[in-house]
Amino acid sequence: MIEAILIFLGLAVLFGILLGYASIRFKVEGNPMADQIDKVLPQTQCGQCGYPGCRPYADALANGEAEVNLCIPGGTEVMIEISEITGLEPKAMDEAASEPKPKETAIIDEDLCIGCVLCIKECPVDAILGATKMMHTVIQQECTGCEKCVPVCPVDCIDMIPVEVTTKNWKWPEPNADKEKGK
Amino acid sequence: MNLLSSVIKLVAKFNPAAKRWMHSFNGGVFPKYNKSLSASQPIRKQIIPERLILPLQQQVGLTPEVKVQVGDKVKKNQLLAQPSKDPFKALSVPVHAPTSGTIVAIEPVTLPHPSGLQDQAIILEPDGQDESIDNVLGVDGSIPDSPLALKAILLNAGIVGMGGAGFPTYAKIPNQAGKIHTLLINGAECEPFITCDDLLMQTQAGDIIQGALITAEALGAERIICGIESNKPAAIKAMKQAASNTKVEIKVVETVYPMGGQKQLTLELTGVEMPHKAHAVDVGMLMMNVATYAAIYHAVKFGEPLTSRLVTVSGLGLKQPYNMNVMMGTPFSALAREASPKSELNYPLVMGGPMMGFKVANNDVPVIKTTNCILANPPEPVEMQMPCIRCGDCMDACPVNLLPQQMYWHSQAHEFDKVEKLNVFDCIECGCCSYVCPSHIPLVQYYRHAKSEIKEIHAEREAVELAKQRHEFRLARIEREKQEREARLKAKKEAVKKQTSKSSEATADTTKKPASAAAAAAKAAAAKRAAAKTKTSQSEGQETNKVPSARMKAIEAAKQAAQKSAAEKTASQPEESKPKQADTKSAAKQAAMMAAKKRAQAKAQKSEEPTDLTQKTAETDASKKEDARKSAMQAAKAAAKKRAEAAKTKNKETESLSPDAATEKPETDSSGDKRKAAMEAAKAAAKKRAAAKSQNSDKTEEQIKPVDTSAEQTETDTSVDKRKAAMEAARKRAAERKAKQQAEKQDSDEQQENPQ
Repeated sequence: MIEAILIFLGLAVLFGILLGYASIRFKVEGNPMADQIDKVLPQTQCGQCGYPGCRPYADALANGEAEVNLCIPGGTEVMIEISEITGLEPKAMDEAASEPKPKETAIIDEDLCIGCVLCIKECPVDAILGATKMMHTVIQQECTGCEKCVPVCPVDCIDMIPVEVTTKNWKWPEPNADKEKGK
Repeated sequence: MNLLSSVIKLVAKFNPAAKRWMHSFNGGVFPKYNKSLSASQPIRKQIIPERLILPLQQQVGLTPEVKVQVGDKVKKNQLLAQPSKDPFKALSVPVHAPTSGTIVAIEPVTLPHPSGLQDQAIILEPDGQDESIDNVLGVDGSIPDSPLALKAILLNAGIVGMGGAGFPTYAKIPNQAGKIHTLLINGAECEPFITCDDLLMQTQAGDIIQGALITAEALGAERIICGIESNKPAAIKAMKQAASNTKVEIKVVETVYPMGGQKQLTLELTGVEMPHKAHAVDVGMLMMNVATYAAIYHAVKFGEPLTSRLVTVSGLGLKQPYNMNVMMGTPFSALAREASPKSELNYPLVMGGPMMGFKVANNDVPVIKTTNCILANPPEPVEMQMPCIRCGDCMDACPVNLLPQQMYWHSQAHEFDKVEKLNVFDCIECGCCSYVCPSHIPLVQYYRHAKSEIKEIHAEREAVELAKQRHEFRLARIEREKQEREARLKAKKEAVKKQTSKSSEATADTTKKPASAAAAAAKAAAAKRAAAKTKTSQSEGQETNKVPSARMKAIEAAKQAAQKSAAEKTASQPEESKPKQADTKSAAKQAAMMAAKKRAQAKAQKSEEPTDLTQKTAETDASKKEDARKSAMQAAKAAAKKRAEAAKTKNKETESLSPDAATEKPETDSSGDKRKAAMEAAKAAAKKRAAAKSQNSDKTEEQIKPVDTSAEQTETDTSVDKRKAAMEAARKRAAERKAKQQAEKQDSDEQQENPQ
């Protein structure tokens, strides 16, 4: 009887020590879940989720402070991925976000631009080029299409236009896609 | 061997698949060839259509730049469009006029592309004279002695792979001689209906062999092997005759589709199976189509650019199928009409063969460099698609040993990562699987769709990564700016305090030099940055610094910054310039001069290095971009500091210099300053790239000059010009990245060179 108790006590102490050591030795800095979530987010840095960027939203999700369905550019796909990572229940997206939108980029009407630099300050990826009282322009390849610059423009010279389809980014259509939709 | 083949023929009567034992790659199919339709006809006389449509984008790569205007009169072989800069990176080739005439328009037209999209094209109205410029490429007819010389000719002649994929030929050739030991000639032409290579071999066998010999000579290749399918006895005879007494070996290969695929024919001829993701060049082999060799011969010997090609016009809907040496830009419909169609051509024509070709969106699309066949087959009733029964026929037919049904399954379910793991990118889209499928599933369509989806996913992932980096950089920059502002403010406050205490206490220590508050602040910020970056052992006590030593240090910092970036950069634009007396200018000028000198030296050193691979510079460009930006800012700061010093010491040097470099500008708000710095950095990066580019080109010295002058110009530029320069730099950077991506993409594209 006493032996059994001692054995189990000994084991308990041993494992306690082992676990205690492991928790110090293999401590993970930061929250790995936040990194994982950050990877699946579209990185438009648009702030439509209510957080100041993709990373803050990922942090909030990892800490369980945010809903899974806030990423509007990511749409349903990203929402499902987030819920898989966090283990939270998937939630329906808002009406506006349920339809996937083709990728758009901002373009500045250079004749109208007054050079106020407001959009430059707003752009999360430094994709707008220009200087005070000088015309601005958007570096198309670097624009993420977050639309943050659109509302701040005092002369409404920024438009969002869909990316043009050329022979380079043209995609082969899926065979029988129409038929399947019809079903 | 004969016994074996006769046994196989016997077995094949009961089991058609037995024919597959005769060739070395897996699978393959034996479609009805229908080649006699057009092969039996002699080559027809060239027609000059009413108008020629010359799309700028005839192949992969960037779009070349138009060199003519609407209304211009051009002659045959005249250059119409040329890749704007560094064509070796752009993967694009020039466009030449196929005949003499007038440019009537430059407008978007429908391309002979499966998408049916439109793109810019030059419309040429022939005058019927067909006047030509001889030897437009300026060759002397001698064999190029190095791969680079050959590449230059091929690029200027606008030669692309004429088998189907249209990859620029120069891009396939390695830069160093001796890398290719075996040159392969692809005369297989395995697709049904197509006979243009067959007739080319019959009529121009000598040209093909000569083209191959020239290429082999330039590349230092030891062996030349030509593979021709056994169903072209006339071509085999002609080629054997032309190849007698040369080192060219003619090998007759089995007639099976897709024998003309690059990897399949290489395996058949040499027994070497191309590894996954490797190009033929990686295993020391280079394969080109017979028509490409003939074009090489004409370019090297006579300086003729590629402006026409042999095209098969065939199909069950035509009464008189034929082959013709067609001018580039001739509309399909004009050629089809020549063959007296059985019924009105109200169905879409097909570009390419029945296995790999595609229906064009509009029958008026032009012949381009990759058009080998125009097919007019009246529409047949479409077989109903049935569910996959997992019979595995597709797997047996696949010439690349893939698992077509698995890929189909996953493509259908949109599990593209799994499709990619099944090596869908090794698929050559030959269509054997669709051909044998008893359920009539358009398998190839599924793979093409999956491929473009996967490519998009990859591109998106890259874009996301870039956006993330840029965002993080921005956050870091904002944070740094904030700290700098605070530091400046602090320094300013201290200086003011010191001055007030000094003025109030007349008896105080006078060893400290009087310093203007602003100058001290500027100096503090600049020196701190310089110290942190260049690791000069500079003390932080700016207020007590002795004047000469501080000046020396500033110069040293500027020098180091200049050296570090290993390229020119602008050190002339001070960040925190203030309105100052005229005499301070000369010091600033000196600083600018010094920086310019350093820059020139760095450039000279660079250009002295042996001109090397373009890849190398691309890499360094990418890696140094950040560096250059940082160091440019740093240099600017150092210059500012120097100026501040100069102001303080009343400046002894009075060298008269031209009015100039450093534009003194009133300080705007701090955000303005940052932008200026950014623009400076962009400019520096742009110049560096320009220098790197000129290094690559053949005429290094000539090109450096304009760069130099542009560098000087920018220094003396007004702010408007600066803005332009900055924007241009940004655009260049973007273009560069695009080109790089393009190149990568093209690499993978080339792998699946269409079999013809």
